[in-house]
Amino acid sequence: MKLSIKAALLAAVMFATAAQAKETVVWWDFLGGGDGVRMKKLIDDFNTEHKDSIEIQASTLAWGTPFYSKVQTSTAVGQGPDIMTYHASRIPLAVSESTLTEISADDMKTMGLSKDSFAGATWDAVHVDGKQYAVPFDTHPIVLYYNKDLLAKSGLIGADGLPTGMTGLDNFDAALKKLKADGNQYSIATVTADGSFAFRTIYSLLCQQDGDIGTDGNWFPGDSSAKLAKAVQVIADWVKNGYNPAKTDYPSTVALFTSGKAPLMINGVWEVPTMTDLKAQGKLFNWGAIEIPALFAHTCTYEDSHTFAIPNNVGVTVDPAKHAAVLEIIKWMEGHALFWATAGHIPANKAVTESAEYKAMQPQATYQPLVAHGVFDPKSIHAGVASPLFDAAGNAFTPAINGESDPVAAVAEMKATLDALQ
Amino acid sequence: MLRNRRTEMMVAYILVAPFVLIYGWMFIYPTIQMVRLSLTNGPLIGPGKWIGIKNYVRMFIDPVFRKSVWNTAYFVVLTVVPGTAVAMAIALMVSRLRGWAQSLILSAFFLPYVLPVTVVYLIWNWLTNVQFGILQVPIAFFVGEPVNVWRTVPWFMPGAALITIWWTNGFSILLFLAGLRNIPQELYEAAALDGATRGQMLWRITLPLLWPITTLCLTIQLILQMKIFDQVYLFANGGQTQATMVMVQYIYEQAFQKNAGGYSATVAVALFVVVVVFSVLQYQVLRIRGTR
Repeated sequence: MKLSIKAALLAAVMFATAAQAKETVVWWDFLGGGDGVRMKKLIDDFNTEHKDSIEIQASTLAWGTPFYSKVQTSTAVGQGPDIMTYHASRIPLAVSESTLTEISADDMKTMGLSKDSFAGATWDAVHVDGKQYAVPFDTHPIVLYYNKDLLAKSGLIGADGLPTGMTGLDNFDAALKKLKADGNQYSIATVTADGSFAFRTIYSLLCQQDGDIGTDGNWFPGDSSAKLAKAVQVIADWVKNGYNPAKTDYPSTVALFTSGKAPLMINGVWEVPTMTDLKAQGKLFNWGAIEIPALFAHTCTYEDSHTFAIPNNVGVTVDPAKHAAVLEIIKWMEGHALFWATAGHIPANKAVTESAEYKAMQPQATYQPLVAHGVFDPKSIHAGVASPLFDAAGNAFTPAINGESDPVAAVAEMKATLDALQ
Repeated sequence: MLRNRRTEMMVAYILVAPFVLIYGWMFIYPTIQMVRLSLTNGPLIGPGKWIGIKNYVRMFIDPVFRKSVWNTAYFVVLTVVPGTAVAMAIALMVSRLRGWAQSLILSAFFLPYVLPVTVVYLIWNWLTNVQFGILQVPIAFFVGEPVNVWRTVPWFMPGAALITIWWTNGFSILLFLAGLRNIPQELYEAAALDGATRGQMLWRITLPLLWPITTLCLTIQLILQMKIFDQVYLFANGGQTQATMVMVQYIYEQAFQKNAGGYSATVAVALFVVVVVFSVLQYQVLRIRGTR
């Protein structure tokens, strides 16, 4: 099946070439952590399987601003890669700088994918003005990690084996109070040294109140400012009451959770491998991860998506054979995303998440349904990971969640910073 | 031998030409381009529209720019003179040691200098971690509670300055040691015969003769510390970056994060002017004192 498609592809695009040469595809990604190891394995597997036809030459660059400025500057002079990973949230900026090549309907057909292969919000996130610029590979939301042993001790594990009594802000705070009273050093560990990381939680809580972050000119539509302040206040109160450690950075929150000093932790799904590995070594308690409960009107979680994008290398004419090879890579990766799920990320391709193998994966299968009501970054050139929006959140929310400034004032400050962007 | 002055000049021109060409191409030309870019609203890559001095007007009313100038100045004050003084003190002590003891102590002081800034960052971030860092024990003893140095604005610059001195001191120590070895031993012997105390020898012989080295160290340090970026960027990342913004960091942020090439160039021109003015001024001031 796969071979026949490939043969058809090659026949279609390589009519001018007499002999089939091995195609080399330059690949850039920003995956440095546990997911980077898994991506390397996928790339190796791909290269082995295609050793006569395609070879991926992969480089891993530093996540965030360094990666994106390198992509932007290198594509502008035609020195970019042939394929790269890209955050869906960064696509609007990339499109405004003509960094990305549009993915055509024919491309999608070649890869055997369509709109129906992905969750609505994920599909929407790779589009700008109705045009598709990337193929979603995963969705990576934040989730609530829990220490099952400690929660059970405080009576917070239900009959189904999952945390219970946490819906609604009052109940959730009561649960935190109970955990603290039961002798835990902290009840919950969320990153408080980094307001731009905390933004993921705050943004989720804003969405749970049906608040919204808009785009340029109208950043906080309606009463979103007040709702955002309320969301900030939630974490500020956790810190004030001693439920959550103050000014604590990312690695420390993970350490507090894994050492059993905090029975709950809000963090990205990418920490799942950390837990799985520790558990396998017998160094971890019973644990799980669930969708962040509805503290307000309904559940809603911040998410982003790792996607595959094709750079628009200025001055370089795209060789059809190369393009076909790139599409083959994306198609293959999408088909093999089950392994990617071990990194915690939720495969974007529904065919994978609906498979029996994925449904047997825990805790992945437990939190996977949250993609149906996730929220992505606002579609603005100023939004996305490591963006001015994240930066503004870091500046405004870091003091606010640690009780050094008032949440309402922090939101006003953030609005002023965003309004000044040009 | 008879020399033709004209041929001599020709040879001289030919010999300096490669330097002048490369200097012009790699330094003068980009500098002109930077000034030109600062008069446009261009992005990081690609052309922009000519907007005259608008960027400069904006810069002078920009609160974050002012903050960055202030923070840079504060950092310079915290590092240049204290750092040089510490290096001199260490060099004076190390120079009294002999043989392997001197080498050992010297390499201990020099070791941090060979580390890349990322390693320095990781070491100190680990030491000062608010939950698990071992430096929190003394901090909690003196302050009463653990303090996240990098997320408490008044602590930030002194913390960064301390680390910078620890990190970059080795080079200044080496310069001072070389200077100390250049002071003829006879001067001390003569002074001893005249009945000078050790304090007098320090103030009348060592320090005056070390003055050229001190000037050099201060100038190098001044230029280096005005361009402070890495440490502040690494430690502030994700937090209150605006409150601890320094000038180079602001240039980086505007260019690479906000894609504002024109405005970024404007701030770069401002920093360029400041560095030139200060290094010329400092050198002049120190030279006058030195020739007194």
